[in-house]
Amino acid sequence: MIVLLLPVDHFLIMTVYALLVSAFFSLLWREQRVERWKLFGVLLGSLVLGGLAVAWLMYPFPS
Amino acid sequence: MSAAEETALERNPFLAAALAWVFPGLGHFYLGRRRPGVLFAIIVTVCFVLGLSFEGRLYTIESGQPLTILATFAVYGAGLLNIAARLLSSNPGGSVLAVTYEYGCAYLLTAGLMNLLLMLDAWDIASGKKP
Repeated sequence: MIVLLLPVDHFLIMTVYALLVSAFFSLLWREQRVERWKLFGVLLGSLVLGGLAVAWLMYPFPS
Repeated sequence: MSAAEETALERNPFLAAALAWVFPGLGHFYLGRRRPGVLFAIIVTVCFVLGLSFEGRLYTIESGQPLTILATFAVYGAGLLNIAARLLSSNPGGSVLAVTYEYGCAYLLTAGLMNLLLMLDAWDIASGKKP
């Protein structure tokens, strides 16, 4: 039996994905606490805003 | 002698990489990096479990579908999580009709690939290539 752990909300699922990936790479690539938080913010912002930008660019295509 | 060289002398890179494959973060735990090890374990496990809950596919190699070789390699990167999920899941192929299917596949593939990177990282730390 499958239990859906998150609501089916595209933005929420994308944001959680961005959070996990950002946390992973900031831990992997940086040693200092401040540097980690900086990279986390940059990655998270890039992924979420990049995702929104791509979605906006694709908006006219189905029609 | 630097701390990295001391670690390289004390720790076996093969064992560190193997432990990192078995369970996310275990390689770092073995290398004495407990806090990152626990955080890596949480991140990769959450990613994998969410992928399963989204009814993503645990890929297997299919003839005529060469990209499934890469996908299978990626999913098997998750180590015991992947094996346990295959054994315990009633539907390891996922549900292609589920609205979250593509998200599930992305989460599962990402979890496996992240763990493969952790294997390489554990190897580098144990062999003294990374401080």
